[in-house]
Amino acid sequence: MATYLEFIQQNEDQDGVRFSWNVWPSSRLEATRMVVPLACLLTPLKERLDLPPVQYEPVLCSRPTCKAILNPLCQVDFRAKLWACNFCFQRNQFPPAYTGITEVNQPAELMPQFSTIEYMIQRGAQSPLIFLYVVDTCLEEDDLQALKESLQMSLSLLPPDALVGLITFGRMVQVHELSCEGISKSYVFRGTKDLTAKQIQDMLGLSKPAMPMQQARSAQPQEHPFVSSRFLQPVHKIDMNLTDLLGELQRDPWPVTQGKRPLRSTGVALSIAVGLLEGTFPNTGARIMLFTGGPPTQGPGMVVGDELKTPIRSWHDIEKDNARFMKKATKHYEMLANRTAANGHCIDIYACALDQTGLLEMKCCTNVTGGHMVMGDSFNTSLFKQTFQRIFSKDFNGNFRMAFGATLEVKTSRELKIAGTIGPCVSLNVKGPCVSENELGVGGTSQWKICGLDPTTTLGIYFEVVNQHNAPIPQGGRGAIQFVTQYQHSSTQRRIRVTTIARNWADAQSQLKHIEAAFDQEAAAVLMARLGVFRAESEEGPDVLRWLDRQLIRLCQKFGQYNKEDSTSFRLSDSFSLYPQFMFHLRRSPFLQVFNNSPDESSYYRHHFARQDLTQSLIMIQPILYAYSFHGPPEPVLLDSGSILADRILLMDTFFQIVIYLGETIAQWRKAGYQDMPEYENFKHLLQAPLDDAQEILQARFPMPRYINTEHGGSQARFLLSKVNPSQTHNNLYAWGQETGAPILTDDVSLQVFMDHLKKLAVSSAS
Amino acid sequence: MAELYVKPGNKERGWNDPPQFSYGLQTQAVGSKRTPLTKRVAAAQDGSPRATASETTAGHPPTGPPPPSNKAPGLPPVGSCSASSVEPTSLPVIESETLLEDVLRPLEQALEDCRGHVRKQVCDDISRRLALLQEQWAGGKLSMPVKKRMALLVRELSSHQWDTADDIHRSLMVDHVTEVSQWMVGVKRLIAEKKSLSSEEEATKVLTEVTTEENQTVPGFLGAP
Repeated sequence: MATYLEFIQQNEDQDGVRFSWNVWPSSRLEATRMVVPLACLLTPLKERLDLPPVQYEPVLCSRPTCKAILNPLCQVDFRAKLWACNFCFQRNQFPPAYTGITEVNQPAELMPQFSTIEYMIQRGAQSPLIFLYVVDTCLEEDDLQALKESLQMSLSLLPPDALVGLITFGRMVQVHELSCEGISKSYVFRGTKDLTAKQIQDMLGLSKPAMPMQQARSAQPQEHPFVSSRFLQPVHKIDMNLTDLLGELQRDPWPVTQGKRPLRSTGVALSIAVGLLEGTFPNTGARIMLFTGGPPTQGPGMVVGDELKTPIRSWHDIEKDNARFMKKATKHYEMLANRTAANGHCIDIYACALDQTGLLEMKCCTNVTGGHMVMGDSFNTSLFKQTFQRIFSKDFNGNFRMAFGATLEVKTSRELKIAGTIGPCVSLNVKGPCVSENELGVGGTSQWKICGLDPTTTLGIYFEVVNQHNAPIPQGGRGAIQFVTQYQHSSTQRRIRVTTIARNWADAQSQLKHIEAAFDQEAAAVLMARLGVFRAESEEGPDVLRWLDRQLIRLCQKFGQYNKEDSTSFRLSDSFSLYPQFMFHLRRSPFLQVFNNSPDESSYYRHHFARQDLTQSLIMIQPILYAYSFHGPPEPVLLDSGSILADRILLMDTFFQIVIYLGETIAQWRKAGYQDMPEYENFKHLLQAPLDDAQEILQARFPMPRYINTEHGGSQARFLLSKVNPSQTHNNLYAWGQETGAPILTDDVSLQVFMDHLKKLAVSSAS
Repeated sequence: MAELYVKPGNKERGWNDPPQFSYGLQTQAVGSKRTPLTKRVAAAQDGSPRATASETTAGHPPTGPPPPSNKAPGLPPVGSCSASSVEPTSLPVIESETLLEDVLRPLEQALEDCRGHVRKQVCDDISRRLALLQEQWAGGKLSMPVKKRMALLVRELSSHQWDTADDIHRSLMVDHVTEVSQWMVGVKRLIAEKKSLSSEEEATKVLTEVTTEENQTVPGFLGAP
């Protein structure tokens, strides 16, 4: 391993883990002085082509409070058939099946290349995946038609033995009975009255345990009784009837008078969906998929009244405490989200409307359960249709890229404790010796539940070093962490993925250089950003920015090289040099700035930021900019107004938007039609190159981003102009002399000014 | 097998709607990964934009035409995306017209094979959808790509390639849902029934060989609710 960069990349590829620090400060005091906490980004189910699951169960440490899983870091006595747990040092006997092991005949889980291993568990009843569609019918005709078609299409993409169900809602909520016979029946609920889980189950007839079994087959005692069969049926049985049922769906028939919003009972519909699954299939993989085209306007969970003259809450209203329904609605959806998570189910929200739909109030439904949140303008857009299709995409082995009902357990060496997690999960409140008192994110536990996840779902996990100051470097010189993810694979098998990692301890006083060199600034930026965004959900925006700034200044004071009070002397080593830029762009990002975004948009952006992997998260913080010109192959360029040149095409990826921008000259050439002349074929190629690259990004991204094709002077060029560092503005244009690039009309500070201030503060002895 | 195309998004309904990729491209994308565009350039430590390498045009943007192909300094970058066309591929007209008969007859034959083995109501349902297919085809409501791919599907079905046939059905549902959604589910069911029938037939064959007894009961019939 030549460099830390290679080491970091290799670890991400093999274990799906990126640590902020790859050499760990050995005492609590020194660790707090590092400013950036010891933390990691973990992608529990990272796609690994070279990792076939083993067909046996893991071997556990016999100490009841430990139960760590046998791993390559354990010391093994092959003669005595004993292994020592690397977490609690308990000596364990190997189980009988392992009697044949020797130095040359080792099970996979002891080999260093299996620091991540997956076990397939044979026991336990397998139950099919469940998809419950909850469909808003207060849509425009065009939208409803498109949505119906997408839903019909999805029946072809679902696993054939998956169970599906259908709930529709408008002013009323209808739970559709799915039968193979010709007549379709449904249960109708009022949209204004909240019902308890018990009431819902009584009304749907789910509470009677002994339903007359029509099936001649004797159901196994552990199997779910077939009580659910009226509402949830296997796709392969009812696909024809459901296709017709969907095809016949009409817009909500209740008249909507002028100046009113349609009455939309989203809160009750969701409550019934949660109750239905709670009563029939608790603790098995299930998705509730909510498709909605507007805000909930009646009943529990209503976000806005039906009078169109009262607009839906804005950030301004929220700041002025003038959002009438917000708290109550949020409470309703939080209650539903927590129940759903307790049942091991997840909720997706597909919200397609031009105005806000209440994602702010409903966000907990997706954020706590690991469901998807998709925001679009209409169901009749490629953005929605393709995003929806991609939910059902498959991996190389032909398995769906979705997993359910996962629990993540974290085990640590004694010198470490777990401070918390930020990601699409919920605490399981499992206290233990390795749980810290100090909470970062969702803490106070060593286990979390992730009800819905895919191969890219990534959690930020924060730790605390608890070794006392001046205590010797811990035994063995290395600290270890084990991540145990138990989940339901899309093939319905239970699986356990185990990742065990170790890093060296170092004494921060004598070996600071080692610790510094092993700093992963990309991971650190994302982990700090997650902390910032997590705070932003409960604190005022300016406070969060101040907190981030303070952390950055402290980091620069600690790791910069400078002479006191001389800002020109300030330098950062290579492993820290990018970090200030990341923070600069993060401060300007929609994750922390709500200006120009609706509350729904902020919720949407933050939702995705809290679950994407490192690469995607960094794109969100600091977008990627590529330049295409006649001067050479495409190359990444600075995200700076100075990069906007007349003879270039720029391709910018912000994760949520892909922007192609033609410089002034290029735009003129295109207008003149050079691309159509055979002698200028290379110009045609130049125009095509960024389109092809954009397509490559679009094909892989989830959710589908917006796609903006613009040019110099175009109104949509603002997407680019608002993201680049405004190094040239209308204020300093002349000061910079004959500089190339495009001046930005903004009063925002540039990276240069930001860095100047940062240096001054870092070298000042006052701060 | 499947179509590979990209068509523009719905700009009328969606603001900056992205282009739409065909099923073939979507499923293919899993395999063909290029180096992702994830590199970024670091600003200098003082935050000032550095002079960029390709700065031959400092100050004044060039006027006049772009460099002609033969004089271009270095090759212009050619994207290596697999999708070659940006417009939907309109299938060449020289292709011989796919005949309704050729598609419908094998499907009806397949349905006949299922009768007696599959519940009557399911067969009737399938039959109703085949009639709908016939009606829409005859009424000129189906596009060329749909007809062509239906012909392919039927060919795979006839040669007992159930999974391939199923995949073609999926590609049709994804790419042409508006045209096919009403009747395609019948074809889908037919593929599934034929598939299970053929595996049952094989099982029955083994069974009859063992018992040497004429097996009059119809497998699958008893199990139906």
